[in-house]
Amino acid sequence: MAHKILIIDDDPDVVLALRMPLESAGYVVSDAHSQESGLKAVDQIKPDLIILDVMMDTHTAGFQLAQKLHGPGATEEHKAIPILMLTAVHQTTPLRFSPDEDYLPVEGFIEKPVDPKRLITEIKKLLQK
Amino acid sequence: MQPTLEELSLNARLLIRLRWVAGFGILIGTLFVSAVLGLDLQVAPLLVIGLSVLAYNTALSFVSHNDIPRAGFERIAWGQILLDWLAMIALVHFTGGITSPALIYFVLHAALSGMILLPWQVRSLTVLAILIVGGLAWLERAGWLPHVAIDELNLHNNLHENTTYIAAVMFFFGSTMFVLSELVTRIVQRLRQREEHIRQLLEARSTFVRVATHELRAPLAAGLSLMKNIEQGYAGELTEQQMALILRVISRLEGLRTLIDDLLTLARSREATAAHAPLEPDSVRAMLVKIIERETPNAEHKRIALHSDLSDDPGVIMAGPIGLQIILGNLLNNAIKYTPEGGDVWITYEVSHLAHTVEVTIADSGIGIPAADMSSIFNEFFRARNAKETQITGTGIGLSTVKTLVDRYRGVLTLESEEGKGTAVTVKLPLISKQTPREPL
Repeated sequence: MAHKILIIDDDPDVVLALRMPLESAGYVVSDAHSQESGLKAVDQIKPDLIILDVMMDTHTAGFQLAQKLHGPGATEEHKAIPILMLTAVHQTTPLRFSPDEDYLPVEGFIEKPVDPKRLITEIKKLLQK
Repeated sequence: MQPTLEELSLNARLLIRLRWVAGFGILIGTLFVSAVLGLDLQVAPLLVIGLSVLAYNTALSFVSHNDIPRAGFERIAWGQILLDWLAMIALVHFTGGITSPALIYFVLHAALSGMILLPWQVRSLTVLAILIVGGLAWLERAGWLPHVAIDELNLHNNLHENTTYIAAVMFFFGSTMFVLSELVTRIVQRLRQREEHIRQLLEARSTFVRVATHELRAPLAAGLSLMKNIEQGYAGELTEQQMALILRVISRLEGLRTLIDDLLTLARSREATAAHAPLEPDSVRAMLVKIIERETPNAEHKRIALHSDLSDDPGVIMAGPIGLQIILGNLLNNAIKYTPEGGDVWITYEVSHLAHTVEVTIADSGIGIPAADMSSIFNEFFRARNAKETQITGTGIGLSTVKTLVDRYRGVLTLESEEGKGTAVTVKLPLISKQTPREPL
């Protein structure tokens, strides 16, 4: 059965740029556009992987959602879903990046602009873990 | 307005340096005036005063290090001035009391205290100084303390017993002390207010640049992501001409993206290198591990092997909140960017507790830098000839930013390179002890 991927990003063009190679690679893709709708979609769709943007309704919405899904107090079901964070080398938030369990509990990063080949490689890597 | 911690630390060090001169000056001056000029000085007490000044200055130089908190520096500032005034009143007493030429040093010291203390503290200390000097004059006038006269100064008319003279000296001494300390305090306060105003303006400018840059980056990143889908055939097959055009558009947009990213780095590094930016303990190793993690996908994409040899020592240094990230991120990103596919990048990290340094070397088997360009490589907006000839986009901001930050952290940046063979950049930063790095945000 094809893996389900949930994209949480408020930029429809980025969502489209992610959706095209993912669907072409055979994944079932859904999307949400805010922290709140993203959290609802996670429970409804029960994705195998989440692609999460950092800045949405607020500059740190992605970080906050990652904390809710994988941080202290998160359910085992949420913790089991790997998160690939969409980021920029020059992230313009006051927060520092790092795939550190303690304060940014995500499994990997993918840089914007997204290179489709690299996106597929990263997704395969995370789904194999 | 309170002085910043850095200002307190710098002023404490300035006073310590001046005091070495003062301490040795008393010793040498006493011996010179007594032995060479033949003046009848109280040599032993004056030498004891000079040695005491040097002794407490040694103690102060040991306690005035970077690791102490603000309250510690404030206590040291008070302590220094009080100890100095005790030493100075002793010096004044043994060189003629109210008639001593050394009295003028109190005025000089009042100006110095105006630089490092708050107005109410300066006023209190000025009153104290006047009371001390007045008290000494009164004790000598009343005969409760022996008056030490220097015969060669020809003051045989017992000026120290002349109430009018004492009153006149105290009036001029006191008024000079008050006026001078008040003037210095006001000027320093005004300067601090201006500095704070400039800091706020810089902060507003940085915020503007950050927001504006994000607004520029977001549509560009989305557009480029879509273009890469077209390039990689996810929107159907392209003719040769369409593909050539798409690649040209991508190349131009990548150039624009690099420019925006570098301008953002420049804006952020301006904040990090600004004199007001606070420095805090930060672990070089922790940041290096994060940077390697971040850059690994870039290296993998170009089939570049990353070889790292990292010491386990956390290597804590004093740095700004994003300074280390900019330094290490730029150097590793450059190494990967300017190394052709299939090349190598070596990262070594070591800590020397003996030399008190942290050393990071990032070497690559990349295109190198032409010898003729080496002297300009740290200049803002400078790009080496061979870098410009490649398709690799760049603005020449990265290395100059790294250099500015390393200088700010009192480190040393060295670069060795040979065109066509590769480049090795070494950053050496001063290690601090005792402190644990700040919590990551």
